[in-house]
Amino acid sequence: MTTSVLSAPQQHKTRDGLRQTYALSKRSTLEIFRQPALIAPSLIFPLFFAALGASSFGRTVGKVDGLKDVSSFLEFSLASTIAQGVLFGSTTGGTALATDIQNGFMDRLLASPSTRVGILIGRLAGGSVFGALQSIFFIIALYPFGVRIQGGIIAVLIMVLSGALIAMSLGGFMTAMALKTGSPEAVQGAFPLIFISLFFSSAFFPRESMSGAYKTIADYNPLSYLVEGLRVLTLQGLTTQSMAQALLIPVAIGVGSFALSLRQLSNRLAQL
Amino acid sequence: MTQPPIQGAPIVVHSLVRHFGSGDNLVAAVDGVDLVVEQGEIFGFLGPNGAGKSTIVRMLTTLLKPTTGHALVAGYDIVKQADLVRRSIGVALQDSAIDPLMTGTELLELQAVLYGIPRAKMHARASTLLERVGLTAAANRRVITYSGGMRRRLDLALSLIHEPTVLFLDEPTTGLDPMSRLALWEEVRRLNREGTTVFLTTQYLEEADQLADRVAIIDHGRIVRQGVPKELKAKVGAPTLVINVSAPQQDLAKSVLARFGEMRPTDEGSLAVGLIAGATGVAEVVRALDEAQIDLHHLELNEPSLDDVFAEATGHRLEGATPTAEQTVK
Amino acid sequence: MLTLRAMRGLQRVPATFLPTLAMPIFQAVAFAGTYFAITKIPNFPTDRSINWFISLSGCMGGAFSGLGLGFAAIRDIENGFMDRLRMAPTPRAALLLGPLLSALARTFIVLSTVLVVGYFFGARPTQGLAGIAMFYLAGFGLAIVATGWGLGIAYRFRDMRGAALMQLTLFLVMFTSSAQAPMSMMQGWLLQVARVNPMTNILRLSRQGFLNPPVGGVSWENTWGGLLAIAVLGSLTICFAYRGLRKLER
Repeated sequence: MTTSVLSAPQQHKTRDGLRQTYALSKRSTLEIFRQPALIAPSLIFPLFFAALGASSFGRTVGKVDGLKDVSSFLEFSLASTIAQGVLFGSTTGGTALATDIQNGFMDRLLASPSTRVGILIGRLAGGSVFGALQSIFFIIALYPFGVRIQGGIIAVLIMVLSGALIAMSLGGFMTAMALKTGSPEAVQGAFPLIFISLFFSSAFFPRESMSGAYKTIADYNPLSYLVEGLRVLTLQGLTTQSMAQALLIPVAIGVGSFALSLRQLSNRLAQL
Repeated sequence: MTQPPIQGAPIVVHSLVRHFGSGDNLVAAVDGVDLVVEQGEIFGFLGPNGAGKSTIVRMLTTLLKPTTGHALVAGYDIVKQADLVRRSIGVALQDSAIDPLMTGTELLELQAVLYGIPRAKMHARASTLLERVGLTAAANRRVITYSGGMRRRLDLALSLIHEPTVLFLDEPTTGLDPMSRLALWEEVRRLNREGTTVFLTTQYLEEADQLADRVAIIDHGRIVRQGVPKELKAKVGAPTLVINVSAPQQDLAKSVLARFGEMRPTDEGSLAVGLIAGATGVAEVVRALDEAQIDLHHLELNEPSLDDVFAEATGHRLEGATPTAEQTVK
Repeated sequence: MLTLRAMRGLQRVPATFLPTLAMPIFQAVAFAGTYFAITKIPNFPTDRSINWFISLSGCMGGAFSGLGLGFAAIRDIENGFMDRLRMAPTPRAALLLGPLLSALARTFIVLSTVLVVGYFFGARPTQGLAGIAMFYLAGFGLAIVATGWGLGIAYRFRDMRGAALMQLTLFLVMFTSSAQAPMSMMQGWLLQVARVNPMTNILRLSRQGFLNPPVGGVSWENTWGGLLAIAVLGSLTICFAYRGLRKLER
C-alpha cells in the first residue's frame, strides 16, 4: 500500500488545518481578482453615489440636525461609501460558493479530509481581503476631494479592518444562502435585502434628522451604529466607542452569520 | 500511518438505504444495497440515469449520510470514521468538479494541501501527475480553456494526489469523445494494475464490459444482478448463431440447425439458433451444414450483451445502450 | 394580439414584473425616509419629503416598465420566439407597437400603486387632478422612451449584456438630474449636468402636482420642457428600436 505521501493525522492535524484554510483563502482571494468585471461595479457605484450625494445634499451641511458640525457632505459620506461598497462586494463570495456547489467543486472539497470550518473560512476570506482593499480604495479615492480622517492612521487601520470584518460577516449570510439554495441566482436575489437594510439605517443621512417609524427602524438597525462608528472615526477622531462600534458590530453579526452557515452546511450534508 | 491494512475487502456495503423527501414524497433512491468490492478489482456499477448510482457513490465518499444501513470503505465506517475514509479514497465525481478560474497546477497544489501532503513533496507530486495525464503543457493555463477530455484527465489527476487505495469514478467518460474515452480507460487500467481498487459507475454497457472485473446492475435503487460480466451474460443463455443461406435451402438448413439448440426469431432470410455449446460449437455446426451440402453465405455468432442481462433482470433496456462510435474504434 | 401576449406574460411571470413594481415603491419610501430632513432647507418647494421623491419613483416606474419589455425581447431572441414572430406576416410596426402598449399598461399599474402607497406614507397632491394627470403623463412618456431604448439595445446586443447596458444608461441619466435634490440646492458638477439633462425637465413635469409654486404648480412653464423632452427622446429611441428590428433581418 502506498501511503508515503500522507502525513500522520494526529500530530499534524492543527497544522494541516491551518495550511488548508490558508490555501483555500488564497484561492478565493485570487479568484476575486480574476474576475474584474464582477468587482468593478462595487468600486465604481459607491463613488458615483458619493459624488451625487455631495452635489445634491451639500447644502444640508450646517443646516440639518446631525450635519451641523460637519465640514463637507463628502466627508460625511465616506463611511456609507465604504459600507455600501463592501455590501456590494459581499455577494461575490456567496455567488462563487453557489457556483462551486453547482459545478461540483464543493463536493471535491467536502470529500477531502479538510475541516468544514476551514472550507467556510477559506471561502469568506477572499471577500474579506477585498473588503479591506475596498476601504483603502475609497479612502484614497476621496482624498483629493478633501476627505480627511480625523482619527489619523490608527482610524484608517480600524476602518480597513472594519471593511474586512463587514465583508466577512455579511458574506456569511450570503454563504448560508448559497448553501441553502445552491443557486447563484438566489444569492444575487437576496442581495436587495441587505441593500434595503442599509437604506433603513442612518448610512446615508444622520439619524438625528429622521422622525417617525423610519427613525425607529434606523434606531434598531445595527448597521446604523456600524456606519456611525466609521463616521465618528472620520469626522471627529478616535474614541473608544467609535472603535468598538466599527469593529464589534461586524464581529457580532459575523458570529451569527457564520453559525448559520455552518448549520446550513451540515444540513446540506445530511439532507441533500 | 494513516491507512492501516484493510481488513477484508476495501468496500463492504450492508443494507444501505437512502431516502429523500418525506411523507407522500418519500423516494427511496437507494433501497437496501449489499455489495462487496474485493482488493485490486475494477468494480463496475451499471444502471440508467436516476437508478441510484450517484447516491451510492455520494454515500460511500462521505458526501451524504445513509438513512439506514452501513458501509466500510478502506476498512473505515463511512459515518463514524468519515475523516479516515476521506484520507484513503480518491474521488472523481460527475461533470469534473473543477474550478474554471484556477490553473491545473494551482488546483493540484490546493488538492495536495487539502490532503495534508507536505510542501516538500507537493510540487513534485503535482508535476508527476500532470505528466502522467498528459497535461504538462497546459499546466499553467486556466481550466476554463481546457477541453472536456482535458478536464476529465485533470479531474483524475486530482483524485490521485494522495495515492489513494480506493478510487471512485462517477461516470468518468460521460460526454467525452471516443478517443478521450479510450485514453481514460487505458489510464484506469494502468492504475488498477498498480494496485488501486476502482469503483466505477457508468451508464455505458461498453464501459462496464471493457473495464470491470465484476459489475453490479442497479435499477430503482436495488441491485438486480451482480457478478463477472462474462458469467452474467452466460447465465442469460446461449449465444445466438445467425446464418444466411439461399432461399431453396432454408428448410434443410433449419432442420440441421435445430439439432444444436432452440431456433430463435430473426430477420427474414436469416436463420438463428441458440447455440447451447457456445462458441466452441460453431465448428460442429459448420461441418454439419457442409455435410448437408448447404452453401453458407454468412455466419455470425452474437454473444449476449450486458444489455441483455439488464433487460432480462429488469424487463426494460438501458437507455443509451446502443452501440456507439468507440466500438468501431476498438 | 402582441400587446395581449406581453400582458399575459406579465400575468404568468409575476416574478419578472415584481421588481419593476417593488423598486419604485421601495425607493419612494426609502428616499423619503432617509432624506427626511431635506425639506428643512430654506425655500425647499414642499414640506413633505415623500412629495419630493414620489415623482422620481413614478418616473423610475415608467422607465423600468419600458425596460422590462427590453428584457422580454432579449429572452424572446435567446429562446428563438422572436424569429417565429418575425416570420409571421405581421407588419414590423406591430412588433414595436405591441410592446409599447404593454409598457404603458404596466406603467399605469406601477404609477397607481406608487400613488396609493405614497399616500399612506404621507404624500399629498397639492394641485388636484390636473397635477395627478401630469404625474401620469411624465411616467407614460418615460415608458415610451425606455421601451424604445430597451428594444433598440435588445435587438442589437441580443443577450443579457444588453440588459445590463440599458439599465446602467437609464440609471445614470436618471440620477444625474434633479432626481435627488432641487436645482436650487445643487452644487458643482451635478448642477452643470442636471441643467442640460432632459430628465430634469421630465421630472419637473411630473412634480407639478406635488410641489408648492413657484417650483411646483400646474403651469405651461413647468410642462412644455418635459413634453418636448419626451417627444424628442421618444421619437429618437423608437426610431432606434425600429432600425434595430430591421437590423435583425440582415
